[in-house]
Amino acid sequence: MAEVILENICKTYGNNFRAIDQLNLSVEDGEFLILVGPSGCGKSTALRMIAGLEDITSGSLRIGGVDVVDMPPKDRDIAMVFQSYALYPHMTVFENIAFSMRLAGKPKAERRKRVDEIAKTLQLTSLLDSKPANLSGGQRQRVAMGRAMVREPAAFLMDEPLSNLDAKLRVQMRAEITSLQKQLGVTTIYVTHDQIEAMTMGDRVAVLKGGVLQQVDTPKRLYESPVNAFVAGFIGSPSMNLFEATLKGGALVSRDFSMRLQDAAFVGRPALRSYEGRKVVFGIRPEHLYDSNLESGRKYQTIPAKVTSIEELGSEHIVHLNIDAVRVDSGDPDAAEDFGLASNAVARFEPVSAIHSGSEIRLAVDDTKFHFFDPETHLAI
Amino acid sequence: MTRQKRSHHRLKRAVAPYLYLSPSLVIIGLLMLLPMVTVIGYSFQNSAVLRRDPSFAGLKHYQAIFNDPVFWASLWHTLYFTCMSVIFHMTIGMVFALMLNSDRINPTLRNVLRVLYILPWLFTAVIIAVIWRLLLEPNGVVNSVLMQIGVIGSKVEWFSSPETALHAVTFANIWAGYPLFMVSLLAGLQGIPKDFYEAADIDGAKAYQKLIFITIPQLMPIIISISLLDFIWTMQVFPLIWITTGGGPIYSTEVLSTYTYKLAFSSYNLSQASASAVVILLISLGLTLFYIRYQKAR
Repeated sequence: MAEVILENICKTYGNNFRAIDQLNLSVEDGEFLILVGPSGCGKSTALRMIAGLEDITSGSLRIGGVDVVDMPPKDRDIAMVFQSYALYPHMTVFENIAFSMRLAGKPKAERRKRVDEIAKTLQLTSLLDSKPANLSGGQRQRVAMGRAMVREPAAFLMDEPLSNLDAKLRVQMRAEITSLQKQLGVTTIYVTHDQIEAMTMGDRVAVLKGGVLQQVDTPKRLYESPVNAFVAGFIGSPSMNLFEATLKGGALVSRDFSMRLQDAAFVGRPALRSYEGRKVVFGIRPEHLYDSNLESGRKYQTIPAKVTSIEELGSEHIVHLNIDAVRVDSGDPDAAEDFGLASNAVARFEPVSAIHSGSEIRLAVDDTKFHFFDPETHLAI
Repeated sequence: MTRQKRSHHRLKRAVAPYLYLSPSLVIIGLLMLLPMVTVIGYSFQNSAVLRRDPSFAGLKHYQAIFNDPVFWASLWHTLYFTCMSVIFHMTIGMVFALMLNSDRINPTLRNVLRVLYILPWLFTAVIIAVIWRLLLEPNGVVNSVLMQIGVIGSKVEWFSSPETALHAVTFANIWAGYPLFMVSLLAGLQGIPKDFYEAADIDGAKAYQKLIFITIPQLMPIIISISLLDFIWTMQVFPLIWITTGGGPIYSTEVLSTYTYKLAFSSYNLSQASASAVVILLISLGLTLFYIRYQKAR
């Protein structure tokens, strides 16, 4: 077990494309860190650089206090779980798990003992003689974990290990990996593009965009205090609603509505006052928008909105709305999927809400939950 | 639907596949099965083809060829020629395929090599035979180069000496046939996921361990299929040997195909030639059945 420290790590490809720019990250001993970001943000590249599968253009990387920049992957004391699992189809589960021990020339009895222990932990004992082709997705995933565990590494690296599983199995495996990591206490760096995995599994989450680290924090703090509009939009599903409005006399003013801001909004953010008379980006999460006809929404200010569509999920309604404000793009390419063509806002209503598609409603807004961002830099105010 | 209509529909459905198959079945029957059955018939007749009403000969012609030392020499030469060809086709094909698949070779050079390595495949057997006859002539390039670098002291008559002729034709056949393996194995190599090698790198595998534990097992289905096909095809090679050595000198390169040809068209002993052809057919059939069983097992 060891801490993993990345200092000013850069990765530039031959065509001058900079995949990673000045990445600084410190992963504590035994910590479960999630690297998350949209496709092409450099998260897998960063992980592969830690593994030694990609060269580091510049910067320093230490695992357990040892500088490993020039070390081949096998000497870095890490184990990796690949997105495809990379299980050898011609080998049995036992042979797959024991492969690194076989390469290291460990005696057969030792291999058998160690693999049996791991198989017991992962509930693979009855499958040791099977070939990967005869296993289910979840079982293959566990074999891949077993292959990583057998090396007793200082750190686990996992590259989107759940992305090939169906939704139900993913939920189950998420819990299994998390509890296994806690049980083993091995430093783990886990790459995913799925922010639900990021929020539910990690001790801390590092959000990357375009090769640049945006924020590293606990899931709760990332959700509650995003440092910029990208993190605000990326973390949370459905995404945070981001709009542009003018701050006038302590209220957010758009063409069709005006929302008075509470004093608390300015107390926590003294810089917000300097935006008086100027445009500002405000964000509000879908769960902080309410149906004004319901008890839960009665105490809040309301603004006019048109319902464009409703997704009835049983436990809640995901309501797509159109309000008279300019929506701001957070820079997350996946966020656009949360909004339909005709809508620019999303709300989560209680399932008792009686609204229907096409109706004009008064949308209640919890004005204590606003996030504010600079319209130019998109940095949090 | 009435009962009559339904049974008519059923009949149509049952017959349709055979109608679609019928053109190819007719062609195979006329061009393959009929000649094959005729040749098998000839092998049991006296003076087949030459006489209008040949008499039944029983197994006489089979006895004759099995008592002929040249037949056994031909069988041995065929096996040597075939086994060496298949082994070297596979080895050279594998080495070249690994080279062409390697990231360490400059991409431009790789493309040039790819064209160069595949060249032998573009030539017909006759051209290959002529090229190697010219190269291996006593006054040819090969002798001249080998003498200059001191490998041989005097000119070797590669195709005309009983000691070297079989090795020389085998060599020419190896040169002509490795690209099939190379291309097939290259396609196989490109299909092996990169993750397998990366996982092995992390596990500490050396290059030869990756070859033994990943590459070869992954290529095994291709290696077995192509080897069996190559074995079947090489056993029947005729033009290369016929043009380079004609089976000589003193039967030293006689293989089953040239042996059969000579019986038929030099000695005009068509009955015995047919018996020899049936022996070749049986060996090929055995290998083919083995190949089909392997394919089914996969």
